[in-house]
Amino acid sequence: MTFWPLLAIAAAVIAAYLFSSRRALALRVSGRGYFHSLPSYHGLLAAISALMAGLAAFILLRQFEAFSALAIAAVAGTVAVVAAALPATKISAAFRARPVFEAIVLGILIASSVVAILTTVGIFASVVFESLVFFREINVFSFLFGSHWAPTGTPPAFGFIPLLVGTFLITFIAILVAAPLGLFSAVYMAEYATSNVRSVAKPLLEMLAGIPTVVLGFFAALTVAPLIRNWGESIGLSVASESALAAGLVMGMMIVPLISSLSDDIINAVPQSLRDGSYAMGATKSETIKRVVLPAALPGIVSAIMLAISRAVGETMIVVMAAGLAANLSLNPLDAVTTITVQIATLLVGDQEFDSAKTLSAFALGLVLFFFTLALNYVALRIVQKYKQQYD
Amino acid sequence: MTDTPYQKLLAKRYASERRFRAYGAIALILTSVFLLYLLVDIVRKGWPAFVEHRATFDVTLDASQIDKANPAATDYLVIVKDAWRSQFPDLNSRTDKKQLNALLSQNAAESLKQQVIDNPGLIGQTVRADVLLSDDADLYFKGLSQETDTTLLDRVREKIEITRNMSWRLLNNGDSREPELAGLRGAIAGSLLTVAVALALGLPLGIAAAIYLEQFAPKNRWTDVIEVNINNLAAVPSIIFGLLGLAMFLNLFGMPRSAPLVGGLVLALLVLPTIIIASRAALRAVPPSIKEAALGVGASHQQAVFHHVLPLALPGILTGAILGMARAFGETAPLLMIGMVAFIADVPQSFTDAATVLPVQIYLWSDLPELGFQSKTAAAIMVLITILFLLNGFAIYLRKKFERRW
Amino acid sequence: MKRILLTASLLALVATPALAGRDQIRIVGSSTVYPFTTTVAEAFGKASGKTPIVESTGTGGGMKLFCAGVGEAHPDFTNASRQIKKSEFEDCAKNGVTDIVEIMVGFDGLTLAQSKEAKEFALTKQQIFAALAKEIPDKDGKLVANPNMMWSDVDSSLPAIKIEVLGPPPTSGTRDSFAELVLEKGAEKLESLAALKKTDAKAFEKVWKSVREDGAYVEAGENDNLIVQKLQGNPNALGIFGFSFLEENANVVRGLSVEGKAPSYEAVADGSYKVARPLFIYAKKQHVDVIPGMKEFIAEYVSVKALGEDGYLGEKGLVTLPPAELERVRAEAAELKVLTAAGLK
Repeated sequence: MTFWPLLAIAAAVIAAYLFSSRRALALRVSGRGYFHSLPSYHGLLAAISALMAGLAAFILLRQFEAFSALAIAAVAGTVAVVAAALPATKISAAFRARPVFEAIVLGILIASSVVAILTTVGIFASVVFESLVFFREINVFSFLFGSHWAPTGTPPAFGFIPLLVGTFLITFIAILVAAPLGLFSAVYMAEYATSNVRSVAKPLLEMLAGIPTVVLGFFAALTVAPLIRNWGESIGLSVASESALAAGLVMGMMIVPLISSLSDDIINAVPQSLRDGSYAMGATKSETIKRVVLPAALPGIVSAIMLAISRAVGETMIVVMAAGLAANLSLNPLDAVTTITVQIATLLVGDQEFDSAKTLSAFALGLVLFFFTLALNYVALRIVQKYKQQYD
Repeated sequence: MTDTPYQKLLAKRYASERRFRAYGAIALILTSVFLLYLLVDIVRKGWPAFVEHRATFDVTLDASQIDKANPAATDYLVIVKDAWRSQFPDLNSRTDKKQLNALLSQNAAESLKQQVIDNPGLIGQTVRADVLLSDDADLYFKGLSQETDTTLLDRVREKIEITRNMSWRLLNNGDSREPELAGLRGAIAGSLLTVAVALALGLPLGIAAAIYLEQFAPKNRWTDVIEVNINNLAAVPSIIFGLLGLAMFLNLFGMPRSAPLVGGLVLALLVLPTIIIASRAALRAVPPSIKEAALGVGASHQQAVFHHVLPLALPGILTGAILGMARAFGETAPLLMIGMVAFIADVPQSFTDAATVLPVQIYLWSDLPELGFQSKTAAAIMVLITILFLLNGFAIYLRKKFERRW
Repeated sequence: MKRILLTASLLALVATPALAGRDQIRIVGSSTVYPFTTTVAEAFGKASGKTPIVESTGTGGGMKLFCAGVGEAHPDFTNASRQIKKSEFEDCAKNGVTDIVEIMVGFDGLTLAQSKEAKEFALTKQQIFAALAKEIPDKDGKLVANPNMMWSDVDSSLPAIKIEVLGPPPTSGTRDSFAELVLEKGAEKLESLAALKKTDAKAFEKVWKSVREDGAYVEAGENDNLIVQKLQGNPNALGIFGFSFLEENANVVRGLSVEGKAPSYEAVADGSYKVARPLFIYAKKQHVDVIPGMKEFIAEYVSVKALGEDGYLGEKGLVTLPPAELERVRAEAAELKVLTAAGLK
């Protein structure tokens, strides 16, 4: 159903490029004046108009099941060829093909970055209606500032604070683990390690990013949590079987590769001339790194850490398995806490009836989390902008 | 030589240099050790899933039980089970028979059936059949059994020839509720289809957005909004992306449920921020002098970016792609809402067939009561990591090829 | 001529009922019933060639999808670890899903289990209530926050180990059933609470439904295997999970007797082990004539081969219905008896 039409369009696109660029070249060689645009731009312009028109025709025709694949292929191919002929007939010395083509490309680039906005709008729309229904039943302020969370209790309590604190606590532990490990790993890989070590270590770390979080969750629950409990009890602390510490530690390991891999690239991209300048002044390697390389790489490193924090805030499985679901309002890393995302997931896949306040609270949580991280990211952006410098 | 203050200072600086270097090495080693520990643990648990036990005994292919004209139409399981029970003539109470039957797999007669179809001349003869044991028996012979009463299994071990074989069922079969038969073929195909869609969409979109934001966008409030918004998307819990997929792709656009196409679309949106952020960092890291030099000799802005900046930023962009792909491969929660957390026995053939993916299969298997699924779960993780490693390897090869230092 | 053909085909397109096309059964719903429904689906698929797709969405999410409407895009069955609620039934009716067939397929025994390394003890429902309820009556019958930290505080005959019970979260149907089957019954046995039930049923409900949140009851997530493995690492803890997990892990965990009855297949099936809840599947009768194989699938589910005493679902850990009950279920399933709102909560 899709193969033949796409093949026809592809053929038309290639033909359009070849024909138009050759024609422009031939005209230029034959000495019809000074050409504004290179031949390839004439070709690209023809090709891109063929592609856009062909795809549009294809998508339009697909709506009707009456047409066979071959019929669609024929029509879409013809449309593409006609669309390519429009710029092709205009090929001349004065025709400014490049600005036209570049305007189209810029349009595509802008459209791509708008996708992210649309996604946000879509996410907002898909949680906001249910949230409104929820907030009709539950007061917004008692939700935002309540300190007790028990959506299925009798009577239910929807206090958001314990979840917020739990999220904070676990994310904080995770970053405490991941930031030094990730940064030092990155510095070592970029500045000290031989290229052999680096070529092994970097993919190894990236593999860590690919281990499904279910697996890390099992590891946190069955290996790390009992370890912490035994250790804690041996020095006389009371440790919950599911502690925020276990979840936070393992989550920290999960986001190490995000920080290390991205930071490594950024550090590598700091121009060698900066280092050479520093060495020339007699600085040791570590002094160069601390005073020259890292400050130059700071904006990139901050955005890597922000990405890691975002990932930790959004993570679900590890916390479900290792930290449990008890909504305790506590800052003690040895207590059991729960996070916003965990509550969202368990409420949505639970056995409760779906349109009750219990399940709807999941949407409200999603909405609040959304604004919450928005504020966080805004602050981070301001910081990055303040310290952003371009080195050469 | 006397210790001048300068030498003391120098010694201190060198010591600090060594310490700093050691921190880096320790961090790297610590992370690697953690990873290796995890991997070894997984391999140790998953290894048994690649081994299966078979029993070999005589089966009489009675001509009266098999239709010679159409040997495929016979229920060979009945024949095999009869022959199996006849090996233990003293066990003939109803419970004994039931227990004996339970030691054979549902698929026990599969190879015998093929043998007879290939060679109908065997009908009427007695053949040595190689029969797959059930999960309970298999676990016992692997030494992983939880059975409290093993007298029957001990008898089987004495009486019958049991062979231990490598098994590639895990890679060749679709999903099943019998642990000894369950395989990952459907999940692997589903994962590849889904991630293919996600990358085909997410990578170009992400790179294009990054190029615009980093190189062309005017620095104003509007681009700040986009920037904050992209960072924010990375923090949206993945299950919410599932809600978006349900509302938009399924309900609004009427796309099929459980399809890799929809899963890929959702995952593309999910990995978009990761790819954009990494690509932007990579583009930002290319020294501006490169672009300025290109502009200086008369290149247009786009020519400077596409011909000079982008190729130099490619290694970093590939890192972003790898991290994004790794995330897409390991994601479970958003697929729940669009129907991909499901038991699907058939292997998906196209982007619109019902499918599930590897991490979902891992999640589902880890929640089943049968013990045999525990090693299957670990083995599925091994498969997932291997696939990831192979794909990573390719991307890393590309990255190495393009990487350079200023 | 061509135009006529085109118009005709367009008309045909509009006229074709939305249901045409899908030839595979789609099932959603509870993760508790999932292991059993998938087993039936596989057996059915082997016989018919089209294995139904079984999603694991949770009972609530399953009902939401199931009730969303009639047509190809909506599932044909939903699994449920509790009976359909009245509100869900009404939601269904509102969306045109009026003919629902309810099939009770068996029981899920809920077990309280401990590591085999731990010292065995037995409990009564009253003791479990006294250990897990958020508030219990003191000597004068006044409700106070649960002071019991050790099992020996609950009853001096019990061992002196810390109360720590790993169980499902409140969003889980397992937890609801546990509260109804154990905590409510346990609470009723206390005089002061029995009196409260008569005077103020709402307040009584609050007492037995509220489980303590001070760490004695650990909300451990929905994965029962995880609870089993956590018990192995922590011999002092008890865990609450489904009977099939106890059966599969009989070597490492042991089920505690409740009210003098140890959880065994026989005890659950004959009803003497009282902590068991019914499991259901719901079928959309409006799909029966459109989606091929629905009747056959129901027949396979309630067949003797599957649900009978020695059926394959029994081997998978489902506690099957008593013979008389099974006969009734089979008859109702065969005639596709439509569910009415009467009797729903």
